[in-house]
Amino acid sequence: MTIMNRTQPITLLICALGGEGGGVLTEWLVDVARHAGYAAQSTSIPGVAQRTGATTYYVEVFPVPLAELGGRKPVFSLSPVPGALDAIVSSELLETTRQIGNGMSSRERTLVISSSSRTLTTAERMELGDGRADAQRLVDVIKAFSREHHVFDMGTAARESGTIVSAVMLGAVAGSGLFPFPREAYEQVVRGGGDKISKMAEASLRGFAKAFDAVNAPRQQAAMVTGLLATSQDEAPATAALPQAVASLFPPAVHDLLALGHARVLDYQDADYARLYVERLQKVLAAERSADPAAAQGFAITREMARWLALWMAFDDIVRVAELKSRASRARRVRDEVKAGDHDIVKVYDHFKPGAPEFAALLPDSLANRVTAWDRRRATPWALPLKVGSHSVFGMASLRLLASMRWLRRRGQRFAQEQALIERWLDAVARGTQAHWRLGHEIALCGRLIKGYGTTNERGKHNLLHVIDHLAIAPLPDGAPSARADAIAAARTAALADEAGTALDAALVRHGAPPRPVKAVPVRWVRQPRGLATAAQAKSKAH
Amino acid sequence: MEVSFSKEIEALRLGEGDTFHGEGILAITKGLLQSGVAYVGGYQGAPVSHLLDVMVQAKPYMDELGVHVEACSNEASAAAMLGASIHYPLRGAVTWKSIVGTNVAADALSNLSSPGVRGGVLIVVGEDYGEGASVIQERTHAYALKSSMCLLDPRPDLGVMVNMVEHGFRLSETSNMPCIMELRIRTCHVRGSFECKDNLPPAVSTRALIEEPAGFDYMRLAHPPVTFRHEKLKGEERLPAARRYIAEHQLNELIPGKHEDLGIIVQGGLYNALIRSLQQLGLADAFGATDIPLLVLNVTYPLVPEEVADFCAGKRAVLVVEEGQPEYIEQEIATLLRRRDIQTALHGCDLLPPAGELGVEALAGGLAPFVERYLPGSAQQSSNESAHGWLAGNRERRAAVAAQSGTPLPNRPPSFCIGCPERPVFSALKLAQQDSGPVHIAADIGCHAFGTFEPFSMGHSILGYGMSLASRAGVSPMMQRRVLSIMGDGGFWHNGLLTGVQSALFNGDDAVLMIFKNGYTSATGTQDIISTPDDEVKAHAVDKQQSLVDKNQTIESTLKGLGVQWLRTVHTYDVSKMRSTLNDAFTSSFNGLKVIIAEGECQLERQRRIKPWIASLLKKGERVVRVKYGVDEDVCNGDHACIRLSGCPTLTIKDNPDPLKVDPVAVVIDGCVGCGLCGANAHAATLCPSFYRAEVVQNPKWHERLLHSLRGAVVRVLQPA
Repeated sequence: MTIMNRTQPITLLICALGGEGGGVLTEWLVDVARHAGYAAQSTSIPGVAQRTGATTYYVEVFPVPLAELGGRKPVFSLSPVPGALDAIVSSELLETTRQIGNGMSSRERTLVISSSSRTLTTAERMELGDGRADAQRLVDVIKAFSREHHVFDMGTAARESGTIVSAVMLGAVAGSGLFPFPREAYEQVVRGGGDKISKMAEASLRGFAKAFDAVNAPRQQAAMVTGLLATSQDEAPATAALPQAVASLFPPAVHDLLALGHARVLDYQDADYARLYVERLQKVLAAERSADPAAAQGFAITREMARWLALWMAFDDIVRVAELKSRASRARRVRDEVKAGDHDIVKVYDHFKPGAPEFAALLPDSLANRVTAWDRRRATPWALPLKVGSHSVFGMASLRLLASMRWLRRRGQRFAQEQALIERWLDAVARGTQAHWRLGHEIALCGRLIKGYGTTNERGKHNLLHVIDHLAIAPLPDGAPSARADAIAAARTAALADEAGTALDAALVRHGAPPRPVKAVPVRWVRQPRGLATAAQAKSKAH
Repeated sequence: MEVSFSKEIEALRLGEGDTFHGEGILAITKGLLQSGVAYVGGYQGAPVSHLLDVMVQAKPYMDELGVHVEACSNEASAAAMLGASIHYPLRGAVTWKSIVGTNVAADALSNLSSPGVRGGVLIVVGEDYGEGASVIQERTHAYALKSSMCLLDPRPDLGVMVNMVEHGFRLSETSNMPCIMELRIRTCHVRGSFECKDNLPPAVSTRALIEEPAGFDYMRLAHPPVTFRHEKLKGEERLPAARRYIAEHQLNELIPGKHEDLGIIVQGGLYNALIRSLQQLGLADAFGATDIPLLVLNVTYPLVPEEVADFCAGKRAVLVVEEGQPEYIEQEIATLLRRRDIQTALHGCDLLPPAGELGVEALAGGLAPFVERYLPGSAQQSSNESAHGWLAGNRERRAAVAAQSGTPLPNRPPSFCIGCPERPVFSALKLAQQDSGPVHIAADIGCHAFGTFEPFSMGHSILGYGMSLASRAGVSPMMQRRVLSIMGDGGFWHNGLLTGVQSALFNGDDAVLMIFKNGYTSATGTQDIISTPDDEVKAHAVDKQQSLVDKNQTIESTLKGLGVQWLRTVHTYDVSKMRSTLNDAFTSSFNGLKVIIAEGECQLERQRRIKPWIASLLKKGERVVRVKYGVDEDVCNGDHACIRLSGCPTLTIKDNPDPLKVDPVAVVIDGCVGCGLCGANAHAATLCPSFYRAEVVQNPKWHERLLHSLRGAVVRVLQPA
């Protein structure tokens, strides 16, 4: 803390989310001040923010004990004053930055203590791709606009202490020395009256202590910050065993992703399929070598294709899902995820709803077509909602049975269809690369559009093929490869903007390509409510 | 409601010599008891909910004092309750959220103000204005003016506020005018202290009953011809009496300052913000000693002309600090000065922002030019420059941060709680509109209004509490497809039953009404209503985890009684059923009012009941089943369709553990209450098969263990690594 100005109140803004105990925290702080003999005031604007929204609390403490004020009462502000705050303590990284963005924090005066943990907003979570705000950027803002800052994971500190974050925030405030109160004063208030300490109070005190030390001991705090930075970096991909024979065919730059991809395809089907993967990737490599002999781009296309090709070739189907869900490793993962005790029994029910297409996928053409035709004739497509207890003998047996149908997959209709589509995409990448390295690269990156299962997967494939046909191959107003590359890049981002594909169509049209064909949807007849007959109808009735 | 206010109730019992520590609104509550209030009523709503909540829970103590407490069905019934003070020497207080509550109460308030009151009447309104407000931004001031009610706006110091409660009653009694006390959001939630007095048991009370009704007195009726007399009385007797009382007891505070040729007239509620902005300009110290004289209006209507005139006379300029529009006080002062031909320059909205909350920064922004113009003296110059520097600094910093953080930060509006029973209905509604086509949705006030936020973004209009069904009356006859009206059970009882249902039935309207039956007025703080499950039911429930709202059928029987023929009740977590029921309602050949009751108890209340129950079972070592949903990270396709259909805070995303994949995967984090929506959506919308439901059995019975171990043995044989 800098030299305390004894003629002005000490000001603290608290940012929290609904249900994080911000109210309790302010009550604690005011009580600590009162017991220590200082004038203090807190205000808040809870409203409906209690329902998971962001809210703030504001505390002012006069730095001179009441006894020394000669009966004078300080006049406290009810709301935080931008640029006139001594400290901001916040339980959520984005909210910290938001308040700084509101002009609250000043480089000259404000100490910012923030949690590094994120509670993602709905807007961030609902994106088709990755809509998360860049945590590093948020931390940079804190660094740039604070006199002093402490950033550590309050969420984890609270969890480890078995308490809620408000106790951790109190510890952080105490540890920062913002207020002229000793540590004991805070702990006394948390402990509360009564001689015996409640379990809750104990947990709160544990959380308090963690944060107190984190903020009080600069070395630890520094470690925590670097810890945060480390975690915000993507961890290096684990390198799977790559057969020498395969490795020798590709430059080292590709090996890490190649190893993962090769292992994935092998695990998905069999050695033949893995061989096919390698052959396909070699085509791409050849094309890239001719386009970029000096490897100035570090074989970026081949690397990306090693990734996306493997993912597409290992397309999700019921066989794959059954395989993944019936593994012992998965059962273990579920046990920790639900935090089951050693003596607890865990029952796991998996939600499946396979439709006709999922089954048709495993049948040869003639049969498959009949099934899908039958399904199309129905008013609503047929699907079988299942709740399979994978902890039960029957459940596990049926999962394993399904998983063992791998051999059927190869003979199934979908397998053939997927291979055909993959070839089309592969071909486009190869041609594109020969025409212009960037063009090939952009088409390769479009592999990101192919995702998962059912309708999502269908949508992705339609989008990808449309992009290839109309932006990579068909004539365009500006057919220059670089222009095509730009167009494809734009279309790819647009495709991830909204489910309906509105943005994608706009992007397509913008670059002179036709929008995607309108898909036929079953129309449900809605009777007209008691509207009066139109003049025309009235006439026709008359005659 | 499951929340306990035992601590606050203890504070109400404090007496002479004790010091009260706590929130503003509770200080007001204590002030009412110290003033000998005989009856209290109101309708809950932020920021004044606690006043009523605490009093309702304090019933035993209220009975001790002989005070009657009524949780009214809406603000109109609360205002009408004040009729008791027309004839009888009873001090009465009611409370609600303003402006909306005052709008609902307006009719009764007019009819109360016309004959005037004998017993003191205090209306405590939460002025829900500015940051944190949840309603349209209008001033309660207008009602005080039009109905001739006194308007108190005490400075946010607990001592002053409590003092003004007592004065409010006396002022009301001496002037026969009802008094409104407006408290801004932060004033209600300010934590401070004041020296208590003993509570005053009312002379006439539930313990000391009125023997005989008052004699017939036409003057006490709001009915012609006496209403014409009433109007004259307001101007000739009541307002003058009020002004006399205000002046005699110096309810408005005069604070001297060395620059006697200047002055600031401020609403009491804004005093602290004004002092802080004067500090920022170096014109006041931390204890409120100011260089510019202040007239602090703890009563903003009526003004005392002499008081204002004396303050302004001989000054070069006066600044009126008044929040919200129109600037009634400034206008009245202008008229007053003009009439008396006082040449003092008057400032207000010309320097201060005419709309929005007057925070310290906004105030300082208006004060600075005032000071510049009238105090160009060197003394002020420096501090004024520093103030300019501070204001400019804020502007620059905001720009700089915006530049550095690049894309604007995503908003974080409030949303449905974890496991909220209302979320699944919007999931179903999203799916139903995929089947039957988009519909016009008349939304309403309540938690369900969160459906207007992402990921649902549904609702075309909000016309007031319980107004959704009425607000579609002009739309549905013009609309090819049917219109859906959404209403909570709170809104249904507050207003919707009569303005909506009765009207739709009477006119034979073709309408679809969705009633969220969660058992409480949840958005205002889960207060009980007539359709709340009884405490006995809760006490006797074998499985306390289940929703209990189905145990109270008041809404259903009321609707049947009114003659609703198409009525379906659906458990909200059954998304498929809700989807098909909505489709039926949209396409049915039945042309009358179709009501769907979405049944599911408020999760907040359920959890408050469940947590202690589970804890007690575990303590006794009894069997407990805990449900949590999860997502298989290797099956999840990273498309987040499930999130776009739910928005539950515990269904979020994390980095993809698969190094080949780039998009984050969905994950269910701690805090999941196992409501079942994830599973229901996975089936209803045919999402990817990554969702699982896990049931964790704690303290299982011996045969359970045996079965499980046998099972486990076989399963492990079948499982690959």
